[in-house]
Amino acid sequence: MSEAATSRPDGKRKAVTPRSSKDSVIDVRHLVKVYGGRGQEEIKAVNDVSFSVGEGEFFGFLGPNGAGKTTVIRIITTLLAKTSGSVSVAGLDVEKDGAEIRRIIGYTGQSIGVDGELTGRENLWLIGRLYHMPNSLVDERVEELLEVLQLKDAADRRAYTYSGGMRRRLDLGAGLVHHPRILFLDEPTTGLDPQTRVAVWEYLRRLHREENMTIFLTTQYMEEADQLCQRIAIIDLGKIVAEGSPAQLKAAIGADIITVRIARDEAFEQSRSRALEIARTIPGVSRATIFDEGVAAYTADGGGTLLEVLRRLDAEKVPVHQVALAHPTLDEVFLQHTGRQMRVEEVKPMSRSFGRRRR
Amino acid sequence: MVTDVGHAQRVITRTRDAESSGGVFTEIGLVTWRSLVKLTRTPVLLFFSLFMPLIWLVMFSQTFGTVFSAAATQLPYDYVAVLLPGITVMTAIQSASQSGFGMVADLESGFMDKFFVAPIRRSSVLAGKLLADGLRMAAQAGIILGIAAILTLFGWRIPFATGAVGAVLIMLLAAAFGVAFSGLSNTVALRTKNTETTMMVSFSLTFPLLFLSTALLPKALLPSWVQSFSTVNPVSYMADAARGLILTGFDWTAIGNAFLAIIAFGIVLNGLAVMAFRAQGK
Repeated sequence: MSEAATSRPDGKRKAVTPRSSKDSVIDVRHLVKVYGGRGQEEIKAVNDVSFSVGEGEFFGFLGPNGAGKTTVIRIITTLLAKTSGSVSVAGLDVEKDGAEIRRIIGYTGQSIGVDGELTGRENLWLIGRLYHMPNSLVDERVEELLEVLQLKDAADRRAYTYSGGMRRRLDLGAGLVHHPRILFLDEPTTGLDPQTRVAVWEYLRRLHREENMTIFLTTQYMEEADQLCQRIAIIDLGKIVAEGSPAQLKAAIGADIITVRIARDEAFEQSRSRALEIARTIPGVSRATIFDEGVAAYTADGGGTLLEVLRRLDAEKVPVHQVALAHPTLDEVFLQHTGRQMRVEEVKPMSRSFGRRRR
Repeated sequence: MVTDVGHAQRVITRTRDAESSGGVFTEIGLVTWRSLVKLTRTPVLLFFSLFMPLIWLVMFSQTFGTVFSAAATQLPYDYVAVLLPGITVMTAIQSASQSGFGMVADLESGFMDKFFVAPIRRSSVLAGKLLADGLRMAAQAGIILGIAAILTLFGWRIPFATGAVGAVLIMLLAAAFGVAFSGLSNTVALRTKNTETTMMVSFSLTFPLLFLSTALLPKALLPSWVQSFSTVNPVSYMADAARGLILTGFDWTAIGNAFLAIIAFGIVLNGLAVMAFRAQGK
């Protein structure tokens, strides 16, 4: 575990509080979203998703591209209409009380929605005024945010001159001007360099700690979910496949994992089945499954079993491409629940495509 | 750095409890402010949106002026006086067809989400944008009229029968007409979310509308089938009213008809735009 993760002074980060629907601020029940129809092919982007987030909780939605994360976050933030199910924020219904919900939430979308022709200061000022904050208060708040987000020096430059990291910080600031009770972040660090990513994490932790803000974040980075979130839901193909604290999810695997990648040749399928059979006969392997690139074996004693696995596979002439031994991480959790490795597809930041926007 | 948690909490409480400031007019004003700031920061666009109409004014009046004079001798004004109102309409149409571009850009960049997730009325966003468009179109018409006025010093015969009041009326007509016509561009933009399509639809309508109207020539000089089309073309009403103001005087019937035509098709086109705007995220 890295330093950052252990640096929380209250040590509450990994604590799991069972949430009753009474003290939850976000309640999603049997949410379904179907795109298309009317002649177009129907796509079920969200398929019966239910979860709730407690007041003051740092909650993460983890999943690959196209899993339905953005759709869910846009429905909760009233930006998108649901097909069926119920969604409430702070006890307010997204369909009936949209205006009241918008007053208390902050939202930072996947595409960085800052106006390049306006300066950083003007961007924040405009948003603050749109939230009906009085002028004096907006000015004070804007200065404070520019300071905290380290944009003071660039505050009067037009935003199109900003680097990707600066734009992301400005965009984050725009979601915070009105001190939202609940902050929604849709992949807040996608396209950022590692250094900036860590800086954003640090800032989010502070917001959560000092302002007791409820934060709902979506991410395709295992590490991000692990580092920041008290509780996560893993979403894949529009369904939640696992839910719990990172520690719980990892503990549920309860073992070390040996992943064996098989050489990609014509005989891949047979080799993989063969490897699975072999793995299952090895003493010490509690469970073995296949995944898209090979076989995963779960064992209490990774170090000792690894050698035996290799010996046997070699003896049986299974064309092994790569072997890895891992203590459970969220990667393994994802693998276990979906049978696939999660791969991050980087979205080109700030691309000016003219096609339809990604959902 | 916010290290003083107590202070932070006080600020938060103050922000959340603050009397909300400003109603619907503040919202519209903010959106308008943003559009106008963007406009003034891209002076190149501003320049070129005037460049084309002025080229037309000079080239057309020179090229067709001789033909016109031959056809209608004894008139106390030049063809440019007949054409001038048409150029103000054309400028308004041109700006109106670009209205949707900004919409597409905001939808794509995600800036529109900022408006949609803020506790403001959606209609304020559209109204603010249209107000900014209208101000821009009025200013453009004013600049064109101003340049024409300067050209009279160099011997161009433009009567300006109603003077400055008439000029302001023409600016108003141009702005109203442009805002009404923006509805088309915005509807296409919101439905397709595609700049090229928006450009194609708007531009391909601009020229037929202009040529099948009385904007470039008085009705009497048009071929008969164009005459019949021009009577149902709102561009004609706008052009006739503006031409009257420049050539003869206040013809309140023509001005009234122009505003009626503008309101009628403005309601239809902008109604479609409002529907498309409301449908965002549905």
